[in-house]
Amino acid sequence: MSQATTAVPVPGQATEADTKATGTRRGKGLRGRKAPSAEDAGAPAPLWVKIAVALICLAWFIPVFGLFITSLRPRDAAQSSGWWTLFTSPSTLTQLTAENYAQIIEQTNLPTAFINSLAISIPATIIPVLIAAFAAYAFTFMRFPFRNALLVLVVALLVVPNQVALAPILNIYGSLGLNGTFAAAWLAHIGFAMSLAIYLIRNYMSTLPLEIIESAKIDGASHFQTFWKLIIPMSVPALAAFAIFQFLWVWNDLLVALVFVGPGTNQPLTVALVSLLGQEGQGTQLLTAGAFFTMVLPIVVFLLLQRYFVRGLTAGSVKG
Amino acid sequence: MRTSSKLIAIAMAAALTAVTSGCLSQPGSSGGGGGDDDGTVEIMYGFTDSSSDQFKAEINKYAEANDITIKFSPTPDFNTLIATRVSGRNAPDIAIFPQPGIMAGFKDDLVPLTDVVETDALDAMVPGIVEAGKVGGEQYALPMSLNVKSIVFYPQAPFEAAGYTAPQTLDEMVEMTNTIAGTGTAPWCFGIESGAATGWPATDWIENLLLVQSGPEVYNQWVTHEIPFNSEPVAQAAATMDELLLAEGHTYGSRQAIASNNFATAANPMFEDPPGCFMYRQGNFVARDGGFPNAVLENIDDVVGVFPVPGETAEEKPVLGGGDLASMFTESSDATKIMNYMASSDFGQDWAQANGFISPRTDFDTANYPNETTTQMANIAYDSTTFVFDGSDQMPGEVGSGSFWRDMTAWISGQQDQQEALDQIEASWPASS
Amino acid sequence: MTITIINALLAVAGGVLGAIALFWLLNKLAELLPSKAQETVKPFVYLLPAFAAIGLYLIYPFVQTLVYSFANRDSTAWVGLDNYTELLTSPSFRSTLLNTFLWIIVVPVFAIIFGLLVATLADRLRPGSEKTAKTFIFLPLAISAVGSVAIWRLIYEAKPAASDQTGLLNAIWTSFGGDPVAWLQTTDLRLNSFMLMVILIWTQAGFAMVLLSAAIKGVPVDTMEAARIDGAGENKIFFRIVLPQIRATMITVFITVLIGVLKTFDIVYVATNGNFDTNIIAVSFYQELFVNRNAGTAAAIVIMLMIVILPVMLYQIRQFRAEEATR
Repeated sequence: MSQATTAVPVPGQATEADTKATGTRRGKGLRGRKAPSAEDAGAPAPLWVKIAVALICLAWFIPVFGLFITSLRPRDAAQSSGWWTLFTSPSTLTQLTAENYAQIIEQTNLPTAFINSLAISIPATIIPVLIAAFAAYAFTFMRFPFRNALLVLVVALLVVPNQVALAPILNIYGSLGLNGTFAAAWLAHIGFAMSLAIYLIRNYMSTLPLEIIESAKIDGASHFQTFWKLIIPMSVPALAAFAIFQFLWVWNDLLVALVFVGPGTNQPLTVALVSLLGQEGQGTQLLTAGAFFTMVLPIVVFLLLQRYFVRGLTAGSVKG
Repeated sequence: MRTSSKLIAIAMAAALTAVTSGCLSQPGSSGGGGGDDDGTVEIMYGFTDSSSDQFKAEINKYAEANDITIKFSPTPDFNTLIATRVSGRNAPDIAIFPQPGIMAGFKDDLVPLTDVVETDALDAMVPGIVEAGKVGGEQYALPMSLNVKSIVFYPQAPFEAAGYTAPQTLDEMVEMTNTIAGTGTAPWCFGIESGAATGWPATDWIENLLLVQSGPEVYNQWVTHEIPFNSEPVAQAAATMDELLLAEGHTYGSRQAIASNNFATAANPMFEDPPGCFMYRQGNFVARDGGFPNAVLENIDDVVGVFPVPGETAEEKPVLGGGDLASMFTESSDATKIMNYMASSDFGQDWAQANGFISPRTDFDTANYPNETTTQMANIAYDSTTFVFDGSDQMPGEVGSGSFWRDMTAWISGQQDQQEALDQIEASWPASS
Repeated sequence: MTITIINALLAVAGGVLGAIALFWLLNKLAELLPSKAQETVKPFVYLLPAFAAIGLYLIYPFVQTLVYSFANRDSTAWVGLDNYTELLTSPSFRSTLLNTFLWIIVVPVFAIIFGLLVATLADRLRPGSEKTAKTFIFLPLAISAVGSVAIWRLIYEAKPAASDQTGLLNAIWTSFGGDPVAWLQTTDLRLNSFMLMVILIWTQAGFAMVLLSAAIKGVPVDTMEAARIDGAGENKIFFRIVLPQIRATMITVFITVLIGVLKTFDIVYVATNGNFDTNIIAVSFYQELFVNRNAGTAAAIVIMLMIVILPVMLYQIRQFRAEEATR
């Protein structure tokens, strides 16, 4: 589960390397590192390194590739031979068909579930970012009693498993009639993500220069104005990194969706996909196509925003 | 800083404890949603994909004519999600339980059906399956559909060409098994892999053999744990299963392969030329989309033959089956109408024609079944002398969808011996049930 | 479909605008106060929504769960420590604990090993190739556990020896003359649990790689140059110079992945449902609560999960305090 990683980089532990790194910018490659100016001009990597990296990449990619090929094969073929036989006997290439995808679109509720996943993921990404940004702002730029104690509480709660909340929240939702709605999922994701969000965003904000706030104050700006006009734009890397993390988490989440939304008209993609794994075997031929269908958006989001993601992640732990 | 954080933590914990402790919930506090007649009925059920679409069409046909709006909530995780829905006080109006054991656990939340569903309808059904909807003598669920599990499939042409005929007694079946094995071909196809539910096809074998050898009384005592899980009749059934299936050369592939061989595709070698195996015992649902290869399904009447798992004598026709049981969480006139519709012989005609449904009603017009094979399978249930509901579905979840699957798998794959497996399942039976 | 889309759009707009309006309103309310009081109240106004969420979704449920763990299956009577003693004496729960323990050690360790391997090797490639390579390793992070299991089924599938194998691993295994192995059902040496861990390692290695790669690039060049002048080989430089300097990052990654592993639910739930001795605490909790409907035992399981995590939590707090002290 990719959301698993959302637990968080502990600050400070990685700083030791950075402090020493100041002054000397590193070139590429262990071998070819000669002088600061020689960045990227080192000796080319030996062949074995290239081969090793290629092999690892292949090993990481083959599972996804196998799924993709299988999703294009008719059921009888997929059940009688492995997907790689396509390459050992190229005559079977003609078997490839988009039939499974057509069935996914026409016969299953995956398209509706796709919309539902968006309806759950977008607010469950934006709202916690907003709430956490306000809290992080208060922690960073305001003075008030119990500030450190509350911050320690946030850090301590980073590791509390979401499971504790399932039964109690189910009861509360029950009396409010919230179960099965989008809001039930948003609120749960907001609650579960909050400590991580505050923590990450505060870490970033505390690296911002305090003088800017001071001068804004002198200019007569209120906290509310300073927050929107100054701090939010300056914190974009951290906000974006957390938002991407949270989006992937919510999009890929099964547990919260199963318990608080469940099957039916509002079900997201993960719930709909699990439903292709029925006990009596119907639908297994659609599972591969369905799985690929659910992956497309997160992969695209991820590839497009990878830069921000990596930058925000490393800014949180390795403040480089 | 240190002390202040400790203080605040203690204060918070104390305050919250004061709020939450001492107020444990009252028993039976969870219940159905609003019982109003808002013209909408939510139905939650455990089958998905094409079965779900056909079910929707069948229900909507009636609902539209009667101005009822239906909200369908299908999920393969039915057993756990119905629990989340009920504990979240968001129970559907109607729930269709695949397992009577799970249904029985919700009896306090369900509406008794005695005054809801017409008794004539229940009287027209296969008796054993109506029984499965009762808890403590009270009818809480009505059978909506039927599965027949005492079916042996065989590849018609090669089977007949080899001179084999459907056995009339269990002894004849054992004999035929040995005869086929003597020719060097495996008599049986067998696979019990089913993802997270791996092992369930093996439980059907034990149940079927127990029913045949010891009769419905012993079978029901075993299901309700009046006799221990590992008692003599069960050991006898397991020994017979061992003799039929697990002996060297009796199953296509090795014994070790059974646990990893998917049940839906396990029969495929039967349709090769020459057949890799000659018989496959499984529920009628493998003869639908998602089961046998598409090429076989297209001419099923010409390719596939069926016979019932025989009784001890030719006169006895005990049948093991299952089915979906409809229960009502919230009483409303619309929900009542839908319940009665599902119990009627009109229900399921289109669904049957689409090859997704066998009616529990013996007066259902068999002309609706899409092929001769399905009619034969339905008749196996309708002509049964005894019909019992799948035992593992009626046992508590820890056993029926836990240790029974798990230890059968361990036994078949040779990780435990037969006695160990049965003893462990017995030990796993929850004390409170 | 159109209605679904419109509904979804309305929901998204309503949710997001509602949250913005909430802050605007809270801020307006605070500004009604005299300016002296404003300074005191405002921080709490900004913190209020966040802490309301934390209180409702973590603190209150935690206390509730703690209370229920001492009560019976439908939380109607106290049973003292019975839930705990029953769990700890049950062989199947002890097996679950052992599995959980294996998961939280094995997955972080291998995620780090692969992450480090790729980070170090790719560091020696040209920037373009390095980025491509890293994308391949990072990609699985975007895939849901349900999707991952669907993917890995095609690797782990087993068919009887007489048939063609449709699972890649068995196809390779049988081509070397082995008998097909039911990877996810073989409990010997907990092989099946390890096979499931591979799936999580596959998704987590990319995460480890990103952080470790940034740390490696932060190792100062002059220390390595000095070693090289002293005649140290590349291996020696890696183990004596680089590794010690990125030790802190490695611990960070270890703990981060470890916390994630403790919360892992869906891989096991979807692949085996905890059968064949693969159960872990998170799945066993779900089963107790929703299959066996035993709220008491379920609560006791989560509390035990919390106890397992406690040292990690204390370590996090200590680290955090140390960090704040130097800030």
